[in-house]
Amino acid sequence: MRRLVTQLAAAAACIAGTAGGALAEPVNISDFNLNPRIAAKIAAGEELNIYVSYPDVSNEFAPFVLEGVARADAMDGITATVIGPVGPDADLQIDQIETLLDTMDGLAIASVSTDALAPLLNRMIDEGIPVIAYNTDNPASKRLVFAGQDLVQSGREAGKLMGEVLGKGKVIITTLNAAAQWSLDREQGAREGLAAFPDIEVVSTLNTGTEPQEIYGAIENAMLANPDVTGILSLECCSTPAAGTWVERNDAKGRVHVVGFDLLDLTVDHIADGYIDATIDQDPERQGFEAVNLLAQFLHGETIDDIDTGVKIYTSANIDELK
Amino acid sequence: MDEQMAVKAAAGGAPSRMRRFRLGREFGVFVALVVLCVALTLLNDRFLTPTNLLNIGRQVSLMGIMAVGMTFVLVSGEVDLSVGSTYGLCGIAVGVLLVAGYPLALAIAAGLVLGAGIGLINGVLSTYLRVPSLIATLGTLSMVRGAALILTDGKPVTVNARNGVGEADLAMFEFLGQGKVLGIPMQLAFFIVIALAGWFLLSRTSFGFRIFAVGGSAKAARVSGINVASVKIWALTLMGTLAALAGTLSLAFLPSGQAGRMGLGLELDVIAATIVGGTTLAGGEGTILGTVLGVLIIGVLRNGLVLTGVSPFAQEFLIGLVIVVAVAIDKWSTSSKSN
Repeated sequence: MRRLVTQLAAAAACIAGTAGGALAEPVNISDFNLNPRIAAKIAAGEELNIYVSYPDVSNEFAPFVLEGVARADAMDGITATVIGPVGPDADLQIDQIETLLDTMDGLAIASVSTDALAPLLNRMIDEGIPVIAYNTDNPASKRLVFAGQDLVQSGREAGKLMGEVLGKGKVIITTLNAAAQWSLDREQGAREGLAAFPDIEVVSTLNTGTEPQEIYGAIENAMLANPDVTGILSLECCSTPAAGTWVERNDAKGRVHVVGFDLLDLTVDHIADGYIDATIDQDPERQGFEAVNLLAQFLHGETIDDIDTGVKIYTSANIDELK
Repeated sequence: MDEQMAVKAAAGGAPSRMRRFRLGREFGVFVALVVLCVALTLLNDRFLTPTNLLNIGRQVSLMGIMAVGMTFVLVSGEVDLSVGSTYGLCGIAVGVLLVAGYPLALAIAAGLVLGAGIGLINGVLSTYLRVPSLIATLGTLSMVRGAALILTDGKPVTVNARNGVGEADLAMFEFLGQGKVLGIPMQLAFFIVIALAGWFLLSRTSFGFRIFAVGGSAKAARVSGINVASVKIWALTLMGTLAALAGTLSLAFLPSGQAGRMGLGLELDVIAATIVGGTTLAGGEGTILGTVLGVLIIGVLRNGLVLTGVSPFAQEFLIGLVIVVAVAIDKWSTSSKSN
């Protein structure tokens, strides 16, 4: 077990240092046909209104991102405002942006649906309103840059971690929404990462739904249906602690291994107690901050580029850093 | 004509208990449940194991507790769409109070009173203010969910010792959600007790008679001296209280809740299970037995589809299909009997 923890910690250090990679060309306002209304505000030294649209302001992950936006809001000359639907509703996200379009000096967006949002984002770019993507990229649009985690890469790292923990055996992959783009990207990466371990078989991808009892029940049923599964790889924040809770309730510590994402309170507790082997953080606070900061820099004439917020791995070896 | 005679007249007399069961809507649901269980037993040898059956029982318990309340509401001719949000807010509120250091009994009592209050508001809106309950509870669905998000600022509420919850209160809270009585998970034990109490209240008391009378014909009930508004308000208040209880048990089972997700969309599952069990949206018809069977059908189906390895997307399709088919068969058999 100690050897395993050491391996995971070493992997964490390695990955944190190497994750990254530009996805778009650096851009400068001189290459952008800025909307005259925004140009006049900059010239007059007026406060700039930057909106940060999050795909579901009611989910567990949102408060972390919002903390970063609040930090950015304290910058001089910038008013940063969070918008977004309660529940991942693309139509509502579009409606809110359209309503505020005339007052927007810049938009940072994590799209509910890349394809649904892309036409609006492209229209905004054409009208000279700068748009960047954060947290979840929107490659289907003409957004200027992206600040966030490379989802395929983070999935790959999760798969690799599971492979190192497990060595051989059967794995189920859990996700809140198997059809969402972020989930598909991470799943693709996870399967690629696991492919390097020929003695590991992915049994299925489990779509847990989003309601906590529903998530736990889905994991409970899947584990009963597949009693020979020894690994649960969660692709997101919310089925990760549920998988840890299942391990705790079923006395499966050491027999069933869990690798997941993000740092919800219960996930941190479960790592400290050994029910979850590892979790991958994507620095959501920084994502929220950079969403605003990149636009502020762009509007003030600085050249901006993609920011990869990286892959930080937490295990029982380093989880105390958070306490 | 006194009150109970009016109700009996509306119900069309009283056949024997066994005949009533065989003729009743529950019989078809019961047969469907048996067929489903036999099929799943043949398809997967893990279905008919004590562990799995207890899992199913526990997994449907919270939905079942709320479905009992929903039976009262639907039979009275109303509907409550806010139950998922009430479940979330009240569970979260209990958690917030526990983390703030309030005693367990006070926290749970406050959660239940909050749920009852939401039900009372729904009742007043849909009776005295004459806002149709579909619209009134659609509004409170959103308001209550918003209140939960405001209360927590969207952050998860985790009830554990690390957050300062006292040892004795935590142990009791965890027992309520995770403990067992005679080998039965506590959530399931609560469901059994609530279902029995609901059955008694609906079929053996004058309150139950009044619920049927009001739902069957509000005008006739009013003429026979029943306070229609009062009956409906009590039904919705009961619903709110049971949603609060289910939310509290949910947080006791999974000790971390988040306002944006807890109980999200649960109202549709609760209404679907109640209707599959033979309760009509039009009011005046329904039984607790039918509701329990409806809840079990949904639970067994969800469990069985995972056990048999059906793809997650196909699962959603099949559950929807079963709800539609069950209600269609029910309508068909009802109209056949009428003819």
